[in-house]
Amino acid sequence: MTQRFSLTTRLTLFYTLASATVLLGLGWLTSVAMNRHFEDLDRATLEDKIHLIQEVSGKATSRPDLQANLNDILHSHEGLFVSIHRNGQTIYATSELKIPNETVNVGEDPQTQPVLRWQNGGHEYRALGALLPSPTEDSEAMTVWVALDTQHHAHFQRQFQTTLVAYVIFATLFSGLLGWIAARRGLAPLRIMKSRAQAVTSNKMGERMPVAAVPVEMADLAVTLNDMLDRLQEDFRRLSEFSSDLAHELRTPISNLLTETQVTLSMARTNADYQDVLASNSEELQRLARMVSDMLFLAKTEHGLALPSRERISVATEVQALFDFYEALASEKGLRLELVGDGSIHGDRLMLRRALSNLLYNALRYATPNSAVAIHIQTHADNISVCVTNEGVDISPEMQPRLFDRFFRVDKSRAHPDSDGAGLGLAITRAIMEAHGGRISVTSLAGQTCFSLVFPDTFSGPTNVPSS
Amino acid sequence: MKILIVEDEPKTGEYLRQGLKEASFVVDLAHNGNDGLHAALEGMHDLIILDVMLPGMNGWEVMRNLRHQGNMVPVIFLTAKDQVEDRVKGLELGADDYLVKPFSFAELLARVRTILRRGKSGVEATSLKVADLELDLLRRRVSRGGKRIDLTSKEFGLLELLMRRQGEVLPRSLIASQVWDMNFDSDTNVIEVAVRRLRSKIDDPFEPKLLQTVRGMGYVLEIPTTAS
Repeated sequence: MTQRFSLTTRLTLFYTLASATVLLGLGWLTSVAMNRHFEDLDRATLEDKIHLIQEVSGKATSRPDLQANLNDILHSHEGLFVSIHRNGQTIYATSELKIPNETVNVGEDPQTQPVLRWQNGGHEYRALGALLPSPTEDSEAMTVWVALDTQHHAHFQRQFQTTLVAYVIFATLFSGLLGWIAARRGLAPLRIMKSRAQAVTSNKMGERMPVAAVPVEMADLAVTLNDMLDRLQEDFRRLSEFSSDLAHELRTPISNLLTETQVTLSMARTNADYQDVLASNSEELQRLARMVSDMLFLAKTEHGLALPSRERISVATEVQALFDFYEALASEKGLRLELVGDGSIHGDRLMLRRALSNLLYNALRYATPNSAVAIHIQTHADNISVCVTNEGVDISPEMQPRLFDRFFRVDKSRAHPDSDGAGLGLAITRAIMEAHGGRISVTSLAGQTCFSLVFPDTFSGPTNVPSS
Repeated sequence: MKILIVEDEPKTGEYLRQGLKEASFVVDLAHNGNDGLHAALEGMHDLIILDVMLPGMNGWEVMRNLRHQGNMVPVIFLTAKDQVEDRVKGLELGADDYLVKPFSFAELLARVRTILRRGKSGVEATSLKVADLELDLLRRRVSRGGKRIDLTSKEFGLLELLMRRQGEVLPRSLIASQVWDMNFDSDTNVIEVAVRRLRSKIDDPFEPKLLQTVRGMGYVLEIPTTAS
């Protein structure tokens, strides 16, 4: 439920809650302090009166004298009740106030007495009792009770509390409002980022988060988001290029087929002509079929489908088989095929062969006549590298990272003969490497081009496959 | 030789029938799984070409039923599915081969002939002969018109394949697979180069020319008919 609330709402709520707690605490402390203060004040008043009465009583000579003196000193005190008893008899009382627990033993000194508190008819009373020295005529001690109606204190306190509660409510609401404003202002960079994010569409991939304009805490996030957008933009660009390349690659043979077939059908031809057209169609169709199956192969491999089979393969054996295959092609160009080293990897034989075949075929195609095409296999501590090297024109550094893109050709304009592929070979090789957890890279320097395959050594133990 | 085609796509079925008929097979055609199974059980065919996606009963089921009833006729699956699991499933059910659509007809024909030839072992020939071209399998020697011709081992393998299957058009992919064990379709022109080199040794100095290119399909080794 809470995760549904917006960040602003949450911050406002927290802020309001915090100020409410602080304000309530303060209010409670004030109330308690005030209560204690009034209590002390009441007790002081009561003690004061008892001392006064004790003094008056000490000076009185008889009971009527005492009563008259007490009346003198007490008549102006509103809300003060005094009663004096001896052996249950009331000797003096200012009113009919009944003091509960009157029978409590009291001592000479009122300071050691607890204050009695009770309520009656909506009024709160406090009372203090003490022994009174007797007037001269008899020797028995009297008890005096002085009670105070604390209504004016209570009234003040009630009013004060009402004000306090009102203030706390108002202050809480106000701080909530302030909190909301603060949260909104504080979160403004987020809204900027949100609106920027909303502005990013497939047509407007260039929008970026404002790194300089947002607080430090969010700059990291903005940078990360910008990096993500960069990657997406790059992927999107490649995807767009890829689809237009794909459309081009598929349309060319189809339009060839259509044109050729329709032109041929437009008038009667000789049998030889028909045969020629059909043969040509067959070639185009084979190319199409191969392209489609290559695309499917790529799609499946790139979607991380499991390798069809996994076995331990001696790379040298595979290379030798490929050398046999390409021998005729190589000797036609006067190229020497060289193999150095061996190593064994764990993977799918057909896929490995295909990957190596693509590289070898490329090397043969671009090699300078009468040079050597060499494959070096090296076993390192944690990987096995296979390097296919040929002499030839360097591949420019700008081209190198794009070599592995689908349909990428170094020279787009070159009319390619039938044997030339659709530009999927290196993409397939890379996909195969990735399916094996390996990687492919290219270096091209000083007339030497080298494609390196690096396979992780997921296989422990010695290689016992003889090098051929 | 009698072949049953079970294929629901009318155009595909019809062209397959025509192609196989012209390759001098007797052909029956069924358009769905149930008819196919029925025909297979009744018809005494030498080979069945079975589509996988069929209305009624799919190819796997037809195959399962067929084997269940003890019919061991060779089967080639035709399918647009090329997942390895499908391939494995097909072969595990007892199919003899598996072709993924789109395939070239020459390829299918070559595979049909391979399967039909299997089992009819008889006495293995020790030498092959086409016109005056002779191939001695034991001594691995080739001669034409009495003249000894030196071939590399792969050239020998290529010539052996072509001579064993003389008169048949062999597609490049089949040659790559049989001679070099390269079981993937590549864009390379390796086979062309290899055939050209072989041709320069066995054909160029001689008449008639035996090794012919069938454009758009593959290569064939045969004594040319005088008409062409």
